[in-house]
Amino acid sequence: MINVHELERRWNRYKIKSYIPHATIVVSILVIFTLVFSLFTSKEDIVIPPQEIQKELVSVQERTSLAKTGHEENLSVKSEKTEAVAQESVVEKKETQQVEPAKVYAQVKVPSKEKIYLTPSLNFMKNINSEAFPYYENDPSAEEDTLSESESNSNEKTITPEKKIVAEAEQERQVPEIKKTSINIKRQDTQEDIRHVIKRFKKSHNPALSLFVAKKYYELGDYHKSYNYALMTNEINNNIEASWIIFAKSLVKLNEKEMAIKTLTQYIDHSNSHQAKLLLDEIRSGKFK
Amino acid sequence: MKSNIFQNSKDVFLDTVNAKDYVQLDRVSTIYQALKDSVKKPLKMILLYGKPGTGKSMFLMKLYHDLSASQKVYIYQTPILDESEFYKTLAKDLFNVKYKGELNFTQFMLIVDENLIDETPLVLLDEAQLYSNPLMEKIRLLSDTRKVKFLITLHKTEKEDLIAKEHFQTRIWESIELENASSAELKIYIQKKLMKANCFDSANMFQNKSVNLIHKLTKGNYRDTNKLLYTLFDIYSWYDENNPSKINKNTISNKIIEMSAIHTGLIND
Repeated sequence: MINVHELERRWNRYKIKSYIPHATIVVSILVIFTLVFSLFTSKEDIVIPPQEIQKELVSVQERTSLAKTGHEENLSVKSEKTEAVAQESVVEKKETQQVEPAKVYAQVKVPSKEKIYLTPSLNFMKNINSEAFPYYENDPSAEEDTLSESESNSNEKTITPEKKIVAEAEQERQVPEIKKTSINIKRQDTQEDIRHVIKRFKKSHNPALSLFVAKKYYELGDYHKSYNYALMTNEINNNIEASWIIFAKSLVKLNEKEMAIKTLTQYIDHSNSHQAKLLLDEIRSGKFK
Repeated sequence: MKSNIFQNSKDVFLDTVNAKDYVQLDRVSTIYQALKDSVKKPLKMILLYGKPGTGKSMFLMKLYHDLSASQKVYIYQTPILDESEFYKTLAKDLFNVKYKGELNFTQFMLIVDENLIDETPLVLLDEAQLYSNPLMEKIRLLSDTRKVKFLITLHKTEKEDLIAKEHFQTRIWESIELENASSAELKIYIQKKLMKANCFDSANMFQNKSVNLIHKLTKGNYRDTNKLLYTLFDIYSWYDENNPSKINKNTISNKIIEMSAIHTGLIND
């Protein structure tokens, strides 16, 4: 007689065994599918949708504008302070200087509700700062000089163009952040400045520096040197309008009016500079001597 | 009484060689007719071969059953391995000569010459692969005299192929191969077998799906099919008696087919 119970048990075992290869195939297919799917989705994650990019751009722009606003506020505050510098103590000024970057930082941080935004590293700015004006930070006596000198109205007049020149020079270098550091420049030691700048120019051959020197010498009335540095600037970069103007002005001052007119005319032909045209008119009319 | 149906169905598939149980299938019928025609021809030796369980013995039995009424036919289903005994048996059966003591080939040939009869007797030897090579050689020599006609069956294995090559290659006038059944043939075989025994309900339970599974398991081998179906109806009988709710009497369950296959060793669990 057949033992059917035993046979059923054996049949169950056989069935389970027969399903193993199928189950293995199904499981492996599922695993492969899952892997492929996960790979696919991870790739999708990397590709940021255009809306997201737009969002991010907007937020970055917001932050930049906020930073700018803060910076501008900072600037205005600082300029006010510059005007009122005679009435303020050195300590107060230092406090302001310390507080203001924090203020700017706070203003930048407030709207940034997003956590994952990357912020640019401004470490390089430190290098630029130290490269650009190392002597401003390292010479506290100079700062005192500045303060004492700023008390006299006559000297204050010389501060403004100097600041302007520095700002222009830095604009040429296309590093807008330099403005931040340039705000506090109130130095009067022009010869020392020129010497430093010439030293740096010899190293870097930066036309902005040579232009700065040319302008300085022009201001000091050393037209030969201003002519030379303007010429050097033009040799390095012949598209700097300010340099050509200083060059022409220096020539006029050196009684080379015709040469100046000729140079300016050529430059105007080349660049169609409005300022050069004005200067040319002034020279021709004898307004500029 | 239902259990009797399954019991009767089970008995149908008892592995016996009985001419009455022979199931006529189209292909087999053609082969059988070819064999019958060959027997009528003045051929010395006919070979019927095929894998075990392809129905050679049944074929031989059916032939014996059909021809015995019209001609002298002698069947030896169990091989007579002793040479002397073989000759003595043939002398007694074919020529009615009882020989005492050892009988060798030469003496047997003398008996054959002395007892010439008009009609050439046909000797059917089943399982001829069991005969020794010297005896097979004698059988060949005997068939060459045209005084006795032989029809032998062989298992088709590599070894038997070798025997066939060595002893019969140039002496066989007719050779017929039997093969396993196809799925359709197997269905006819099962249903005809059941219907012969009046097991119509059981016969109707075999749908193509069930037969295909049986064919897959048995590869169309008649002996394996008989074994499988015998066990299958045994299991059905058990369920019918002990747990009738577990079986569907309209169709054969694949589960029970597989259980039967496990029991008969066609499936290794």
